Amino acid sequence: MNKKLDRRTFIGVSGAGIAGAVAASAGRTTLAQQAANSNRPIRLGFVGIGGRGSYHLDIALGIEGVEVPAVCDVRPEALYNAKRWVEAAGQPTPRLYGKTDTDFERLCGEEDLDAIICSTSWKWHHPIGMAANLNDINCVNEVPLMQTIDEAWELVETFEKTGYWTTLGFKSPNSSLTNMIHHGLLGDIVHCEGGYVHDLRNVKFNPDEEPWRLQHSIDRNGNLYPDHPSCRMIPVMDVNHGDRFDYLVSMSSSAVMLNRYADMMYGEKHPYATAEMKQGDCNITLLRTVNGKMYTLNFDTNTPHPRGITRIQGTKGVLMSGRGVGTKIYIDGVSPESHQWEDAANYMQEYEHPLRKEYTPAPRREIRGHGGGQRGTPYSWHRLILALREGRVSDFDVYDSATSSAISPLTEESVAGKSKAVDFPDFTKGKWKERLPVEEAFYKTRQG
Amino acid sequence: MSVILNNPAAAAFAAQAGGAKPVRLGFVGIGGRGSYHLDCALGFEGVEVPALCEIQEDRLERASSWVEESGRPTPRTYGRGETDFERMCAEEDLDAVICCTSWKWHTPVCLAANRSDKHAVSEVPISLTLDEAWELVETCEKTGKWSTLALEQVLLESSGGMYLNLLHLIRAGMMGDIIHASGGYIHDLRRVKSPDGSEPWRMEHSIRRNGNLYPDHPMNRFIPHMDINHGDRFVSLVSMSARSGVLNEYAAATLGKDHPLASTEMAQGDYNATLIQSEKGKVVTLNFDTNTPHPRGLYRLQGTGGVFLDGRGVGESMIYLDGISPESHQWEPAAPYLEDHKHPVIRDYKPAPRKSMRGHGGGGRTVPLTWYLLIRDLREGNTPYFDVYDSVTSSAASPLSEISVANRSQLVEFPDFTRGKWETRQPFNVS
Repeated sequence: MNKKLDRRTFIGVSGAGIAGAVAASAGRTTLAQQAANSNRPIRLGFVGIGGRGSYHLDIALGIEGVEVPAVCDVRPEALYNAKRWVEAAGQPTPRLYGKTDTDFERLCGEEDLDAIICSTSWKWHHPIGMAANLNDINCVNEVPLMQTIDEAWELVETFEKTGYWTTLGFKSPNSSLTNMIHHGLLGDIVHCEGGYVHDLRNVKFNPDEEPWRLQHSIDRNGNLYPDHPSCRMIPVMDVNHGDRFDYLVSMSSSAVMLNRYADMMYGEKHPYATAEMKQGDCNITLLRTVNGKMYTLNFDTNTPHPRGITRIQGTKGVLMSGRGVGTKIYIDGVSPESHQWEDAANYMQEYEHPLRKEYTPAPRREIRGHGGGQRGTPYSWHRLILALREGRVSDFDVYDSATSSAISPLTEESVAGKSKAVDFPDFTKGKWKERLPVEEAFYKTRQG
Repeated sequence: MSVILNNPAAAAFAAQAGGAKPVRLGFVGIGGRGSYHLDCALGFEGVEVPALCEIQEDRLERASSWVEESGRPTPRTYGRGETDFERMCAEEDLDAVICCTSWKWHTPVCLAANRSDKHAVSEVPISLTLDEAWELVETCEKTGKWSTLALEQVLLESSGGMYLNLLHLIRAGMMGDIIHASGGYIHDLRRVKSPDGSEPWRMEHSIRRNGNLYPDHPMNRFIPHMDINHGDRFVSLVSMSARSGVLNEYAAATLGKDHPLASTEMAQGDYNATLIQSEKGKVVTLNFDTNTPHPRGLYRLQGTGGVFLDGRGVGESMIYLDGISPESHQWEPAAPYLEDHKHPVIRDYKPAPRKSMRGHGGGGRTVPLTWYLLIRDLREGNTPYFDVYDSVTSSAASPLSEISVANRSQLVEFPDFTRGKWETRQPFNVS
């Protein structure tokens, strides 16, 4: 533990430092800090090395100055693969953890790390975040951050007490989309629609994919996967940054698809052909902010469909993108034809975020795992390493992350209560009023 | 005959219709929509228009001249005050009244017609309150005279009957069971609502009300596609509105900052979304936005076997059918499937050209299918395809959404206007 205390002093994340980090969690980047920290190695521990974990580990091993001294997985073959990959990258053999489901606790207790990268199945995300933070280690989770409101509060309060954070830190708000919106191209935001509309029937049943997902469909009913759309929409709507979610209502359809799929694939005698599935095949949630913005959030991983559509309506214009429709925009008084879509490509280019414009990705070493085959180090990883080097909270911080994932348990409560309105907790405890919109914080920091 | 069909049954009907007694229609409200409907009616042989009612004298005279120009006797005109339609209903011998007034008169006109032994066809919405909806149902059940939204065009006429063909495709089992539908009235009406616009009375609704104020166009598809009132029914809804502000901004920009509308408090949120649940577990997302700038909205229908997306405006209509579409989880054009599943009514309809083009009603240059079916049903004594139960269900979404919005999106029960008959009513069909 002494080693850890030294490290803490070195990074300068003391009580005062935490307050600063909490206040300006978005995009504080000064050249002086960068220079001071650029050579310090970043030490990462990996917990869960399945599809996503492999993808993240592979990227980490390709970033100069990133060390991976410890990996953890309960499946020996996954652990062995990870070990081999670390060695192949020219790094010392990592210490391996995987004796039990909770061996990550030992890892957090024994290792001297900057952050844990957690890519386990959902139920372990919160316990791993807690184990990390209580051992002076930050934690970046795969979605969702956690599964219950109590867990969300625990992560927020642990952060406020220790200064160590657990976030959906791979979600970066600095996009052309947020930049365009914060420049007022669409006016004030009135309504957003997005969702996770992705046929996962094969993923839920195939033992080589993510069969643990199926149990969630059996036990739960609501929006079980809000983070992909919400991590985009939270910055777009300035939620936790000048506005906040007030309440939501949620409605689910009947559940027939998974039984039919099991019947079709495995026969009518298969237990899942008749097992009662709680999760409605289609769930829709309406959220309202205290400033009167609205958000329609869809969830459907059971029916057959191409991926879903995103739509953002402002007082001056509207943007729509998705499979089959491309990316289209209409801006009142600007678009050439009255009330007709035009292609948004030029606008997206014009409003490319300055940070992204400056970013030249280093090539990845290998392309492994589940996460897209881009050949350069993803921007999100670049931002994460920068935040760790500078002793900052990740761009998408604890409050934003808790807010995004809290949608799930709140929708479950609403669905179970006949679509009753459920109040949204204010994880910022009032700080949303002062927290600057993502881009405003960015430009302010740059000017300062 | 102005309408010729190429199947034997229809030909028999046409022969019979030629010699049948004339259909007598009265018109109440002859603005944009009324002019369109009157123009359609005057295109039919065997349709008489003996009475017109309208409080604006110039409109009444103009409509009267159209009737005369068509070679028909000069109609009697009614325009002595806002309730003169009551006198018309009492004095005239009519088969049906066509009501195209502003919204608040729709139910009163329909009820006056039914109680005077006349059917009524209303422009949307057919009713503004639940009490009005029930009164229309009960009056129909008592008198045998119906009030409906039978001239609503979306299902039968949009894109050459695309949505009716889609219904036929659903009936063929191509999309499995319907699980979710999403659509709405997403149409920038800021100019239409303005004091110098074509329907300035709409503004008053935005000032006083907050909910989904215009559900009928999407409902004209949801109800058939989901068999609502025909084997299933709506049981409840929740509704949410965004903040309001766009109408004030528009008034300030177009009429000046000092204009009263620039600062009048608007109750109606700039965006409203309503979620409706059916007895059998289907869900509808019903959207409403007539204030913000946008191209028209989408219509998406998800079934257990596939999904349909009306992508007009961004491209063509698209479909994905599990195990049938060539590429896994990729859209393909819907047109060939809709062509293969052409609804018999669409397939067999050979419309005559319209003689003139008046009013607000789409630029179709031939006799609209809705009008053809209405005249046929009046001649044969049929109830129209979208009957009184379907019609009040369609419009009831408005007051129900208002109740929900006013109570922080609380769940509101959807009345069963069929009083249990939905269970045994045959699947929705048009024939």
